[in-house]
Amino acid sequence: MTPSTAPITRCIRAYFGPVDRTAGLPTLFDPAQLGRFPLDAPPAPWVSLGSISKFVRISGTKVQPLLGGAPAMAVAQVRTEVDASVSFEFDAWGKLQAALASGSQQTNLLATAAGAAPNGSGGAAAAPVTVVPEGTTASALNVGATAAAQFAPGTLIAVDLDYTGQTGYVGSGISAAYVSSAASVGSDLNFIRRVTLNVAVVASVAGGVLQLASPLPAGVPSAGMQISPLVGFCDREGARFFQEWSALFVLEGAQGDRVLFHYPRLQPMQASAEHGEALISSTPSVSSAPLERMRLAAAFRALPVRDPADSETVLCFRSYLPAPLRTV
Amino acid sequence: MQNAKDTFYLMLQQRLAAINPQRIIVVREQRRSGTLVVENEAPSAQVPLDCFRLQWTSLALDRTSALPLVALTCEISYATDGTRAMAGMDRGRLFSAMDSELDSALSRPPLSTPKLDCTASDSGVAPVAMATNIFWSEPAFGAITATSERLSRTASVQVFAFQEAGEA
Repeated sequence: MTPSTAPITRCIRAYFGPVDRTAGLPTLFDPAQLGRFPLDAPPAPWVSLGSISKFVRISGTKVQPLLGGAPAMAVAQVRTEVDASVSFEFDAWGKLQAALASGSQQTNLLATAAGAAPNGSGGAAAAPVTVVPEGTTASALNVGATAAAQFAPGTLIAVDLDYTGQTGYVGSGISAAYVSSAASVGSDLNFIRRVTLNVAVVASVAGGVLQLASPLPAGVPSAGMQISPLVGFCDREGARFFQEWSALFVLEGAQGDRVLFHYPRLQPMQASAEHGEALISSTPSVSSAPLERMRLAAAFRALPVRDPADSETVLCFRSYLPAPLRTV
Repeated sequence: MQNAKDTFYLMLQQRLAAINPQRIIVVREQRRSGTLVVENEAPSAQVPLDCFRLQWTSLALDRTSALPLVALTCEISYATDGTRAMAGMDRGRLFSAMDSELDSALSRPPLSTPKLDCTASDSGVAPVAMATNIFWSEPAFGAITATSERLSRTASVQVFAFQEAGEA
């Protein structure tokens, strides 16, 4: 046996999974069964968001003494408040990274209809394209030869249901927004596609089928889903929606040890923010300024779940998987 | 710590040979892959070109851990004159290729490898995997030096290893 040592790592990997907001069910990670999963192939439905920097976990839990006697002495301790938060910066930008770091609802900038009035989060969208169920999978969408002509490799698309008056959480696969009334969203037929996280990139177009670069997060499109091309993503300071995600952070040690931080329920606790970072310089005496790399900064507060093992209500789980043949 | 040095050399040699199997040098009339450790070779006034030369420089020890942590600096030097067929005018491209090969070899995961016990390898015994891994930092590339038509550079890497019980 070899004495165990403190984990040493170069980066921390972040994985996020959806929370079923309607049912209140997070994505739970079982470190006993899956703790050694390959970092580049996380188990479904976890999605890898790449490496993160400046990972900081903060416990706001307060422990107070119970005093007794004269003079008063601590005879026991109680937890008067339990709180935990986590913050970090994403090393890459993408739809999910930007959504998680937005602090609220993120909007897809749908391609607009001709003559649409200007709007900060995108004007009225162009008519959507119907998905033909035959030949459609999570990574290939049959739209027919005629409709396929308006797509090209690289086109961003949102795939989801039409808005027909639904209220509550909307968005296939992942709850993307909360609709209080049809009037609040102007009964916009494209509203769900405007907010959905079920987006993809068209990799190729052939025979009326859009081949996607990666499968849709919500899986095979269900009946009634349509496609809207989009040009990018938008979030708004002051928006009221709180996203909620399950998160898993993995610290892979150089000795084969692994530390996993699992937060079943995380909600953003700061609005969208970026952090400018000076680029490396090949010559120390020559500054790369004013060039900066913008990193997405995110901070989350942990919400509780009940551990059925002993009925404890907890905020996060830290698991340590020792390196092989180490003392414990 | 000799095992850590030998392990790092073997790892780097294998990775560089996989990236560019055509990088071959002739040392004492032997054809070898283009990576060598200077302290393991016969002294020579000639600088071998188009290969990677490893030199171990500084050493630091941290004894606060359950196992002492060793930090070694490995300086990796390489140079090229270009090819005679191109009258040396391809030296920039050949040099960029060496930059890329070295960066790929050191930055490609995994960024650690089991430490090998190489003490008996002189007797023909294959190295044996030990209990800990060595790991290393990202390479820091020094400035390019141009001497006549020759281009050269030295990159530095920090190599870390835990000193196991009974290890020299």
